[in-house]
Amino acid sequence: MISYILKRLLGAVVTMLAVIFFTFIIFFYLTPDPAASICGDACTPDTIVQIRRQLGLEEPFFVQFWAFLSGIFVGRTYGEGTAAEIYCSAPCLGYSFQYRTDVFDGIVDRLPVTITIAVGAAVLWILSGVAAGVISAVKQGTWWDRGAMMFALAGVSLPNYFVALVLQYLLVVQLQWLPFPAVVGFTDDPTRWFQTYIMPWTVLALMYASMYARLTRTNMIDTLGENFMRTAHAKGLRPAPIMLRHGLRPSLTPVVTLLGMDFATLLGGALITETVFGLNGVGRWAYNAIGTNDQPVIMGVTLLAAFAVIIANIVVDLTYTALDPRVRESTK
Amino acid sequence: MTDKPMLQVVDLTIAFPTAAVVDQVSFEIPQGGTMGLVGESGSGKSMTSLAVMGLLPREARTTGRISFMDEELLGRSDRQMRRLRGDRMAMIFQDPLSSLNPYYTVGFQIAEAYRAHRGGSRRAGLRRAVEAMDRVKIVDADKRVNHYPHQFSGGMRQRVMIAMALVCEPELIIADEPTTALDVTVQAQILELLAEVQQSTGAGMLFITHDLAVVSQVSDRITVMRHGRTVEQGTAEQIFSRPSNDYTRQLLAATPRLDDQVDLPEPILTPVGSEDS
Amino acid sequence: MAVPSSAQLEEVDGQAPGGGSKPPGASALKTILRKPSVIFSLAFLLIVTGMAVFAPWVTQLSGWGPLQFDESAVDSSTGGLPLGPWGGISADHWFGVEPQNGRDIFARIVYGARVSMLIAICATALTMLIGVTLGMLAGFAGGWVDAVISRLMDFLMAFPALIFMIAVLSAVPQGNRPLLLVLVLSLFSWPQTARVVRGQAMSITNREFVEAARASGAGRMTLVFKEVLPNLSGTVIVMATLAVPTFIATEAGLSFLGVGVIPPTPSWGQMIAQAVPWYASHPLFFAVPGIFLFLTVFSFTILGDNLQKVWASGGRS
Repeated sequence: MISYILKRLLGAVVTMLAVIFFTFIIFFYLTPDPAASICGDACTPDTIVQIRRQLGLEEPFFVQFWAFLSGIFVGRTYGEGTAAEIYCSAPCLGYSFQYRTDVFDGIVDRLPVTITIAVGAAVLWILSGVAAGVISAVKQGTWWDRGAMMFALAGVSLPNYFVALVLQYLLVVQLQWLPFPAVVGFTDDPTRWFQTYIMPWTVLALMYASMYARLTRTNMIDTLGENFMRTAHAKGLRPAPIMLRHGLRPSLTPVVTLLGMDFATLLGGALITETVFGLNGVGRWAYNAIGTNDQPVIMGVTLLAAFAVIIANIVVDLTYTALDPRVRESTK
Repeated sequence: MTDKPMLQVVDLTIAFPTAAVVDQVSFEIPQGGTMGLVGESGSGKSMTSLAVMGLLPREARTTGRISFMDEELLGRSDRQMRRLRGDRMAMIFQDPLSSLNPYYTVGFQIAEAYRAHRGGSRRAGLRRAVEAMDRVKIVDADKRVNHYPHQFSGGMRQRVMIAMALVCEPELIIADEPTTALDVTVQAQILELLAEVQQSTGAGMLFITHDLAVVSQVSDRITVMRHGRTVEQGTAEQIFSRPSNDYTRQLLAATPRLDDQVDLPEPILTPVGSEDS
Repeated sequence: MAVPSSAQLEEVDGQAPGGGSKPPGASALKTILRKPSVIFSLAFLLIVTGMAVFAPWVTQLSGWGPLQFDESAVDSSTGGLPLGPWGGISADHWFGVEPQNGRDIFARIVYGARVSMLIAICATALTMLIGVTLGMLAGFAGGWVDAVISRLMDFLMAFPALIFMIAVLSAVPQGNRPLLLVLVLSLFSWPQTARVVRGQAMSITNREFVEAARASGAGRMTLVFKEVLPNLSGTVIVMATLAVPTFIATEAGLSFLGVGVIPPTPSWGQMIAQAVPWYASHPLFFAVPGIFLFLTVFSFTILGDNLQKVWASGGRS
């Protein structure tokens, strides 16, 4: 088991290095001069050269890559030896000259909002998706099943930014059931907190809930056809334990697998919901950075997302191992 | 013991919306007796057993009578049948691997059958499971109770299934092709075990198989079924020595003769439980 | 008793699908063509495709081009909101006008359909081409070829695709955005196709008819084109039908975020993005492209879902 984890971790490190390298190439070769965008309007060729030096953009590719890579582990100093020396402490994902801030710190500051949105949405979609899927599977072929599955197809097809606008227009502007979303701490004002996050949760959860309902239904129908279900009936168990213990439990393993991956890729969805609802999380920061062409921020968030996916991959594998006794054995 | 049969099936007919699968089948099992239900795939023998257990799919329509210990079973509610199933009548299925839930330990699954009818704590249920596993001669039952189905061999899994069936001391055991998925040597052991179990508990047994050779070892009486109908019925000896029906003769021709079987060397009896780990 | 159909035991045995998918019978296709949801989807897609293909004629009919300003339709005293109720819907402007410049929303929807569909269909074609080629290569060649392709697929699938698309698209300079979108969308999507094709290719190679063909001395290429490709066609059609809506949605999402199609070229996602500041005062501005986007994606998804069911059941349905 331990050697298995070590092997997975080693693989993750290799993948992460490849991702960093790949990302760096994109931003090194494809980007229009970042110095020019930092410099802004009042800019002379001299300032651009100066900024380029400060960013280390004059150096050859591998020197720059090394500076970036080592910066992640030990920190780095921009514009060393100049008056405008900036130290970026480890883990240094870059420095945003537009925000005048360390990208990593910027992410850490904004992460709580993003995580609140992500976790809340995940809870919502797991509960509703799995429940809808189970009911549909048990009532397979009925009107409920068909209606729920059609609704799920629609849910998958609805762009989340559109849903966000519709909700905000209806609930906030027209009906005035909810106030405009604004970030508050849970302890400061729980009601306001809930009112702020309920829309982002719903928006983000809708698509995933639809996917989970479909997946749960399919798995559950497969499981209901298993021989051990017949055994459960033959033992004289009551319907609830039969469905939940014997039917649902095996059907959930693939759902859990999917959950890990989805949770990691949630950042994409958070980017959109945070933007539409004006919540200041990592996603919105990245969105603003796209608008102002703030490369270090985009790159930092990209790496964070990749990191999340890679970690999620490992967690999923380990959870899977814990969930399925058959796999558990083979990895011992 | 009374003279009354423990299970009496009279003119049982099972129809699905598309077709009838069992047509006017009758047989009875005396107290502690064994009835062998023989036929090829699709003969309706499994449907008959599921009808007794009340496990037919919802769309199945049944007519006739099934009386168990003088109580009529057909027309009973799900809830009433549920109380009977696993408690007073239990079933052993063909493929023990797929019939056990891979996600739970065998101990949990055996205890589940017990606790569904007798209640009690999880711990008490597990104790019962260990006892039941001991009875089916699973070595180290107190340890193996915590193992998962995939950690057992085919024969051992079938022993687990038998333990599960026995845990509530049922009056009737239905064994649906219990040895078909097993190796020949293991088959013999399982048959022997079933016979022993039946002897010690005095339960009646409905033994379903396509294999006349197997049924000859366990059954006093045999019913041969084909296309949902009874083709022939009689004592094992009658069927083997004087089959009255062509189909029965064909079946007999396809299986080793009873007398051949006697000449077979005794199955090499490995110490029970050592066949796997 | 609610016992699953497995209780039918031997009665239904022997129908287990043998891996891969058989082409469905014409009758199965006919059954799904009778479903109302499928009919509506097809009808809607026909309309949208018609709009996209004949965009110049359609807008000639409606009277306004996608880039034409109509200052007479907006009210400068309210900051450029459309004149009249319902966002300026009139005989002149069927879906109303954009605030401030008064561009015709209908015309932009029509041209937006063109951009969205074109990008989605090209990306689907490219994805299928790469996915099927590499998938078959990996499935048939095996060995190190398979290993390299599989590693590459794992790597690409481990990426947070949306974030990476945003990164790539925001990093590269302007230029031909639609082409760039097609490339980026395909780059991150082909592994899904390739993985399925690889699996099927591997199972097909082991089937009797291919072995028979091989034994009779058929060349490798003949084998691939005559025996294997037709067997994969079902899978590819289903995957393509499901890929189109994904691409439409992703393109719209990217354009919404400002890294996709660049103004003044209209795209549905970008129209919604432009409508964000106006959502409270001019809701139709985001609602119209939003509804078109949703219905198009929904229709494709319904079609794909039904096709998938038909193929999965081997034409029984």
